[in-house]
Amino acid sequence: MIALLLRLYPARWRTRYGDEFATLLGERPLGPFDVADVLLGALDAHLHLRGLGSYSEHRRGFPMSLRLGGFAATVGGALWMTGFLWSFLDPADEDPGFAFALVGSIALLIGLAGLSAFQARRHPVLVWAAFALPAIGGAVMTFGLFMMAVYPDQPIVGGVSGWYFFILGLLAIIAGSILFAVATYRTGALPRSGALLLGIGSALALLSFFGSSTIGGPAAAVFVAGFLAFPVGWIVMGLQAIRLDRPVMATGAGAA
Amino acid sequence: MVTPLPELGRFAEPALLILVSLSDGPKHGYAIMADVEQGTGRPMGPGTLYAALARLEERGFIEALPPVDRRRPYRLTALGATTVAEQLRELSAFAELGLRRLGQAPR
Repeated sequence: MIALLLRLYPARWRTRYGDEFATLLGERPLGPFDVADVLLGALDAHLHLRGLGSYSEHRRGFPMSLRLGGFAATVGGALWMTGFLWSFLDPADEDPGFAFALVGSIALLIGLAGLSAFQARRHPVLVWAAFALPAIGGAVMTFGLFMMAVYPDQPIVGGVSGWYFFILGLLAIIAGSILFAVATYRTGALPRSGALLLGIGSALALLSFFGSSTIGGPAAAVFVAGFLAFPVGWIVMGLQAIRLDRPVMATGAGAA
Repeated sequence: MVTPLPELGRFAEPALLILVSLSDGPKHGYAIMADVEQGTGRPMGPGTLYAALARLEERGFIEALPPVDRRRPYRLTALGATTVAEQLRELSAFAELGLRRLGQAPR
């Protein structure tokens, strides 16, 4: 993986920093945060070496941070909540709730990467699993959504319609969130209250989902509460990360 | 004339953290990351570290020393030391101003 990440940097940069950078990457387990940070760093190196980042870098620099992760988690949670409420209150075939959930899920993935720096060093396997599940889930959701648009209510693979793919992806995202909540709670990298809320919210959402298929209409309130607890968990964790990552430099125009 | 770190844009903050980390002697990349994380409680990714290191080296605030076991230490230059001292004084003055406005004495 290190060699692959290194290849993303410009040759000139690798000649100067390649050896020491590879040594640095090998010194501790790499998590989604580190990989995302290296990807942004490689992009920055290309722009910088071409002179595109020389003078207006505060628009072009991309340090990965808890702030970025916290913001993405908060936005993702809010989009998820909007999408769910929309679909629940207006369950039409073509409501935009699905699209909200999909975009929200992508934001949650960015959030997960941004918030996973410390957890990945102690629990790399758990954190990568927490990242992989929603990543695969997001791809399955996208496929399902596309199929729902192209072949509405028609079976596409093995008698299964796009809707089921969408739901499968959605469940993978929730399951990944439980793993991430466990990793965060165990390391205490972020306030444990947020991790606890995310874990309980995600578990409630899963239970609500499976419960809703066996119990009827009167359980709707429990179903809604369960599915709302999941995005609320992400929003709280995102806000906690933003609060934690206040800028050190408060002065200077370029500090933001 | 001191070059203000805010010219480094989004990298001004990591750059300042790196300069402060190097203030007590040369360090290689991993040691800088560990020091910054211990001092601030916040993560610094490897991509951010090297993007900021490259800019600091380019502007002459730090210089690379010969590598030891493939790890290359960096140290502050005289310009880097002057710049970080100036930046910290500005931050300190700003913090004192804020505390005075809040009616609280600086610690």
